[in-house]
This record gives sequence, structure tokens and C-alpha cells, in this order.
Amino acid sequence: MADNKKVLVIGGGFSGLTAAVETAEAGSEVVLVEKTPFFGGRVTQLNKYFPKLCPPNCGLEINFRRIKNSGDITFYTSAEVEKISGEEGNFDVTVKVKSRYVNDKCVGCNACAEACPAEMPNDFNFGLDTTKAAYITHNQAFPFIYAIDDRYCKGKACAKCVDACKYNAIDLDMKPETITFKVGSIIAASGWEPYDVSKLDNLGAGKIKNVVTNMQMERLASPNGPTAGKILRPSDGKEAKNIAFVQCAGSRDENHLPYCSFICCMASLKQVTYVREQYEDSKAEIFYIDIRTPGRYEQFYWKVKDDPNVTLTKGKVARITEDIATGDIIVEAEDIMAGKKIKRTFDLVILAAGMVPSTKNSKLPVETSYTPDGFVMPASLKKGVYAVGTLKSPVDVAKSVQEATGVAIKSIQSARR
Amino acid sequence: MTEQIKPDLKFINSVINAGGESLKKCFQCATCSVVCNVTPDDKPFPRKEMVQAQWGMKDKLLSNPDIWLCHQCSDCTAYCPRDAKPGEVLGAIRKLSIEHYAFPSFMGKMVADPKFLILLLLVPVLIFAVVAPYLGQIIPPQYLEGHTPEYLNELITSSAPIVYAEKFMPVPFIDTVFVLAALFAALGFGVGIMRYWKDLTAGTKVKGSIMGAVMATVTEFLAHKKFKTCEVTVDRARSHLFTFYGFVGLAITTTWAIVYLYGMHWLSPYPLRDPMKIFGNLSALSLLIGITLVIMNRMKNAEKAGMGSYFDWLFIGVIFTIVTTGLLSEILRLMQVPMLAYPVYFVHLVAIFFLFAYAPFSKMAHMVYRTTALVFAKQTGRDKT
Repeated sequence: MADNKKVLVIGGGFSGLTAAVETAEAGSEVVLVEKTPFFGGRVTQLNKYFPKLCPPNCGLEINFRRIKNSGDITFYTSAEVEKISGEEGNFDVTVKVKSRYVNDKCVGCNACAEACPAEMPNDFNFGLDTTKAAYITHNQAFPFIYAIDDRYCKGKACAKCVDACKYNAIDLDMKPETITFKVGSIIAASGWEPYDVSKLDNLGAGKIKNVVTNMQMERLASPNGPTAGKILRPSDGKEAKNIAFVQCAGSRDENHLPYCSFICCMASLKQVTYVREQYEDSKAEIFYIDIRTPGRYEQFYWKVKDDPNVTLTKGKVARITEDIATGDIIVEAEDIMAGKKIKRTFDLVILAAGMVPSTKNSKLPVETSYTPDGFVMPASLKKGVYAVGTLKSPVDVAKSVQEATGVAIKSIQSARR
Repeated sequence: MTEQIKPDLKFINSVINAGGESLKKCFQCATCSVVCNVTPDDKPFPRKEMVQAQWGMKDKLLSNPDIWLCHQCSDCTAYCPRDAKPGEVLGAIRKLSIEHYAFPSFMGKMVADPKFLILLLLVPVLIFAVVAPYLGQIIPPQYLEGHTPEYLNELITSSAPIVYAEKFMPVPFIDTVFVLAALFAALGFGVGIMRYWKDLTAGTKVKGSIMGAVMATVTEFLAHKKFKTCEVTVDRARSHLFTFYGFVGLAITTTWAIVYLYGMHWLSPYPLRDPMKIFGNLSALSLLIGITLVIMNRMKNAEKAGMGSYFDWLFIGVIFTIVTTGLLSEILRLMQVPMLAYPVYFVHLVAIFFLFAYAPFSKMAHMVYRTTALVFAKQTGRDKT
């Protein structure tokens, strides 16, 4: 097959993985480029999906298997698309691959991490714990090859990992590479970031330990997370049995994100079930402007609402303070239905932080227009370039997968035109 | 409990036109009630006022003491996720409340509407410019001697010492005009407050003693305790204190001057070292600092707190004109610049008349309505203590 019949997929999260396997299985060659050292994106960080409440690793596992089995997918991790030129059917692509410092002789034995003296904040767990500079994100990571983060690695002067590795898998001399190739079409699937809660000065500005984001909550509840799935509060490791969910932490707010982030209501309702299942005597209260559970998701809302230990309070939380002595969190809202300003104390508070498209802060390597909030305007994309998932608007995993599947055929048509 | 709501559409539009144009953006999230430091916890404002205004519940709003418990800190406006500016909306409702209780009611409408500004200005201009020198039947002729256009021309070009009272505006005339203006204002305030108090207390049991509530209101006010809890516009407490004490000082100065004039038969101008003069000048400075800070703070906070309405700026403009023309009159007199001094003094008189005569209908009325509402709130335990 000619080079320019290939399809480039930017981003190895659930949208990108889906687009890549669907395109490859339909008979096109695919080049998949992921910025981090591991595939799976935000979905890998989730404990469970809504509304079925199944763990995402099974879906990911299937897709990783499909990638491995397909002879048509070339993938790069720790790689970023630097430049794209040309047009539909004939794009020139330049990709920069950063050094992983670990080659594919790695068997994932963890000896390098044990030997490594350099600690760094664990980005995969949103800073809830630390990891070593030689690391793997979790036990089902793909590719299952350790990576060394050169922002924290002490370099060849240390090289303790090199001595510890019995398989000659570590090469601290590994140099970044620049690769160029041709493709016929491009699928952009570079995903989203949680809203930076340090901008929410009345909600603790990200400085109060026991006020965490919804994505941090996923990690706290996740069996491969920092607490091995026990929902414990970060300040003292106490079991968090009385939890508040603060909806619209940044979303639907002209001062922050003027749009609804679509998934946060379902995410909080889902997280309520984490707490309720884990501790029998636990309580959860959701503070909301409106509960938005579109379509059939409404049934999930009814189910959670029927739990007598779950309270839904209409009224946005607009002030969060910390009781320094106990680490408890005081949440203030107006209970609109009762017409009363209330202050309630909780063990742990979850901010339902909104969704920010990755293109808000790093633009695509192709010319296109964006909304003021950084979403890609699909009509402005060049012919042969497609954007999927959260790049266009906030969507859930199911919708992302549908889009990614749909775009596979379009990209093949573009590449073979 | 059901309540049938009959929306007053005209009222909704008047709130929008009075500076509450962002009203309809509100989606009732109640961020405003939470960030407000002066609202009581029970039935907090301004969230409920926002929905009442959107639904045109005029009667609920105009007689509501809460609109006056609000000091327009604008913390609500700064944190509002919809940019609905609750602070500005409540300001607009207060304006409509002043207009609603105005007596005579046409005055309420005129002061609230920029269309009538020229007409309202024309009243004192005519009184001082035309009626004063020539209406011999009302003013005893000895005071009007020579008050012809030729005389005025001579006056502003002469090198004789400037004396506003005797040479320009005769004291008995000025006093008559201002006493009448003050009586007109007192009548307006009296009737307005009686009507307001009646609406406030309708169906409410007043518990505590009124004197206790008045004392509590005054002591709280003298220190500007409520104002000091503002966050976004924290500097407003200071600017309002300067303005307020400037006014108090000038009221004392005026009383003092009445003693000099009528008690001791001592005519102005008074020497600069006279204690009354020193006190008056210090008060004027305080007012100047205060009102300048008011303007600067409003500019600085406009983005977060909103720009304010015609009603706000008319009031600020009048005070600013009074204090600047007052000080300039004094300076120009001392510098012997009759060509400028007399006209500036004339503008000064017009502005003072404007403030006095129209007080019950302008934002000046806030001092009376807010005090009344605070007394009521304290008496009924409504106010946050």
C-alpha cells in the first residue's frame, strides 16, 4: 500500500484507540501517536464507567489486544506530531519521539523503580501520591514497558536502574528521534484536561487537602490507585464516609467554563455509588444547580436518588473552608428549596471539575478555528482532517467511541480518494 | 402551599431599564446568596430577589426590607456564573422602590428619568438667575437694588472684594429658597416613609422596641460595620465614610453659620482662621476625598461589580459638583477672580438646590429608606447580627 493511503491518529485515549483499530480492521494502515508513554488516556484513570458500573480496563484490554493483533497499526508513545503539511490524500507528517530510556527488552519486573532514588509527583494519580522517575502507571498499562521521566531522573551519574536491570532494557543514552512519513488523512483525538481548580478561589483553590477533584476521586476509588481502592481522605488516611459532591466546579460559569461539561452529573452520581458500596453507613450529598442526566441516563439518577443515605440539595456551593484541627471540610450553599443558607461539614469534598479540551492550551498541528473555549470548530477543519470526542464538545466515553467508529470510514475515504 | 403569581410585565421591564439589564441571565444557582456577607441565613438575598424580579413580583420586592439590607458590595456580581449582576439588579429595584414611594409621585418619575434632567436643572437655574433679581414683589426691594444685568456685568468685572451674600445672592432670598426646598423634601420623605413603613409592617408582628433598634442601627452605621464586610469592593467602606462624615461636618457647619448670621448678626465671608471656617473646610475636604474615592472605586471595580446606573451617577455627579464648586468658590474669592468666582458660586447654588429639593426622589433617599429598613429588620430579628 502506498504511504499516502495511511491514516494518522493523534492521541491514544479511548477515542484514538477506537479510531485506530476500526480503521485498521477495515483495511487501512494506521499510524497512532500518543504523547505520554502509555495508551488509554483518561479512561485508564477511571475506576468504573457509567451507567453500567463496569471497570474500563476490560474495554481497554480488548482494544490493546486488537492493536497487537493488527499488523496494520504502527504506534509511537512519548511522541508528538510537530508538523503537518499537504492536503487530503497527501499529508507530510513530522513526529518527534521523546526518549523513553527503556527499550522493549523490558519485562516489567519493577527492579528499576525499586532501585531508582528519584521521587516525583504521580501525574497518573493527579498528584495524590508519588512515584519513581523509573515507573509504569499501573499493572495493566500498555505498552507494558517502563519509562524514565528525564525531568526527575538524576541521569547517568546515578544509573542505579541500569545496574538493577537484568535484561539490558535501560539505555540512558537514548536520543529523541524525529520521524517523517506520509498519510492520506488525519484523525485528531487529543482529548481533554480537567479544569484547573486552583482558579476556583472560593472553593479552596486546590489548596485544601480533603477537597479533591472528580478525577482524583476516580483514582481514590480505583483498585490500581494510590489507596488500592479504599476511599480514604488525603490529609490523614481516615475513611471518608461523609462526602459532598460540588457540581459545576468551573462549568456553566462565565468566569470559568461557560458551558456545561456534560459528564459531571453522571460522574458524581456514579461516584456516590463507590462510597455507598464501600461503607455501609456512608452518606453522600450532591449540591447542584440542575442535575443533568440526558436521555436514558435519567434512570441512573433515579436509582441513586432512591438511596436514603443520599441527599440531593439544589443550590451551588460557593464557599468551602477547612477545619484545620480536624481536617473536616465546611461547605456553604443556599438550600434553595428550603430558602436557607446552610453550612455542612464533611470528611471529603469532591469538586465536579469541568472538561477543558486539550486544544485550549495546545493547538492542533493543522490550521483550524477554535471556539473561545478552545473547542475545534469541525467545519473549519481542512479536508481530510477529522476531530473526534472531546475536541469538539464535552462528551462521555460512549459518545466518543461512536464518533471514533464513524470517523474511521471517513478517514479511509479521504485517504483513498 | 401554593401561591399564584401574577407577573407584572411592566415592572420587569422597569427593572431592566433601571440598570438591571442582566436580570434575565440569572439561572438561580444561589452562588450570590452564599458569597454575600450581609444577608441573613434564613431566606437569604439576593437569589430570591432575582427570581421575584424575573417573575415581576413587584409588591414582594418594593416593600421588601432585604433590598435595603443589601449594601451592594457586589461580591454576588463578581462571583455570579452568569454575569447576571445581582448587585446591579438590587440597585435597580431600590431605585424603583424610591420612585414607588415618592411623594409627589411625578417627582419620583422625573428624577429617575434622564429625559427630565434639563427640566429639573432649569428650576433652580431660573429661581437663582431670573426670579431672584427681578421678582420685586416677593423679595423686599432693598435686597434687589441694582440687581440688573448691567449690575451683574459690573460686578464680575469690578476689582472690589468678592462678597457672594450681599453683592450677589441676598441672604434672606437664599434662605427662603432653601427653607422651602427643605420643607418640600421633608414632606416628600415624611409621606414616603410613612407609606413604606405601612407596607413593611403589614402582616408582621414588630417585636423589639423601636428605640433599641434605632440605636443599634445608628451605632452600626456610624462605624460602617456592614460595609466593612464587603470583599470585592472592600474599599467602599472608606470612601463612604469620608463622604458621610463630610456631609455630617457640613451640616454642623451650616448650623454654626446660622448662629453667626442670625444669632450674632455677623455676615459672611468669615476669616479663614475662624473655627467654623476651619471645620467647614475640613468637612468639605473629607467630602471631596470621599466622593473622589467613590468615583475611582467605581471605575476600578466596574468590570467585577458593574458600571452602575444613571440614578447612581446623577447622585455622585451632584455631590461632586457641590463639593468642587464650593471649594472653588472659596478659592476664587480669595484669589479675587470675580469673572469666574460668581458663575462658579451660581453653579454651586444650583447643585445644592438639586440635592436638597430632590433628595426624597434621588439616590440621596437611600439614607432614609435604608435606615428605616434596617430599623425594621433589627426590630423583627431579620437582620444578621
